[in-house]
Amino acid sequence: MKRLCQFAEYGFFRCVLFLCDTLPYAVTCLVARGTANLWWLVDKKRRIVGRDNIIRSGIETDPKRALAIAKKACHNMALVIVESLRSTDFLGEDRIDQHLQIQIPDDVKAVLEDPEQSLIIASGHYGNWEVAGHWVSRYKPVAGITRAMNNPYIEELVKKRKSRYRFRPIPKHDGNTGRFLEVLDNNEILALLFDQHAGDYGMMIDFFAHPAATFKTAAMLHLVTRTPLCFASCHRVGPMKFEITFSPLIQQTRSGNKNEDIKAILNSLNRDLEKTIRQDPTQYLWGHRRWRD
Amino acid sequence: MTDTDKQETILGQLRGILEESSTVEPDWDAFSTQSTIESLGLDSLTILDLLYDIEEVIGIHLEAKEVLNVTTVGEIIEMLIAKGA
Repeated sequence: MKRLCQFAEYGFFRCVLFLCDTLPYAVTCLVARGTANLWWLVDKKRRIVGRDNIIRSGIETDPKRALAIAKKACHNMALVIVESLRSTDFLGEDRIDQHLQIQIPDDVKAVLEDPEQSLIIASGHYGNWEVAGHWVSRYKPVAGITRAMNNPYIEELVKKRKSRYRFRPIPKHDGNTGRFLEVLDNNEILALLFDQHAGDYGMMIDFFAHPAATFKTAAMLHLVTRTPLCFASCHRVGPMKFEITFSPLIQQTRSGNKNEDIKAILNSLNRDLEKTIRQDPTQYLWGHRRWRD
Repeated sequence: MTDTDKQETILGQLRGILEESSTVEPDWDAFSTQSTIESLGLDSLTILDLLYDIEEVIGIHLEAKEVLNVTTVGEIIEMLIAKGA
């Protein structure tokens, strides 16, 4: 019975992919928005989490306006999926300049262009992080943490789609202790989304002035391996048009106090992310329970 | 100092580091050069803490790639001695 359900899900997903690949982009976006509206109606829990997170961040104090932002953020998530599936259509070398504006400091560009250097890029669930990963893979292969899907058939299909560009998924839970180090040792790019609840391995760092358990991975890898680290975001400026912005390299020298070093880096990353979110709060994934106190 | 003395000293230092940072409660009475990385509860994240602390406490920088295939505490100690600890 379970297998039958998985096949049914897989069939539905294939249909969605087919429509996404064949329908005009504007129509696909309309369908995605409609689906997001349906989801919004059904998922009351996420609605409330999104609204409360926005109020807590101080970006909006009025519950009705906060709810409106959370709804647009739900639409954004649907757009992320559509854009990611269509990204190969508009990220080809011949058309890339029509769709992307890139703000990249010289020090980051130098690292990307150096075949002997790896890079850690830390980012959040803002705008379309998948497009940013796709663009940066023109320099070096990119590896990022992904959670395996419950349906193995869909998982396989998604992997095939991802392989259209040089992206390698790293399973979230894996016995291989060196999986991050291998990426850096291969002089590849390690892309890490650090803005989800980190649980036990997190460090409490202020996010919009409220402590949130923040993943230490990017900071520790930078401190231990001396691999260059920067923040990046991908802001949607129009239909299929994005601005990808990189921060300068974060230079954190080791003080001998591990926790203080990590804190300094994570504070810097959270500040960069907050600044990015303030640009357009409707492009952030507010439905995640980042604060759990 | 003989290699055996060095081994004992570093083993003690490593135990101190791990007692501070370990997220599990290993059997410290059984802690030895034969102890496996796995039994100490080290994963891809906590091993980074270990590498940072080794550099601060013992003063030796281990290249991350060097520890990729390490399976026991004894192998880490050998690496540290080879690097002048």
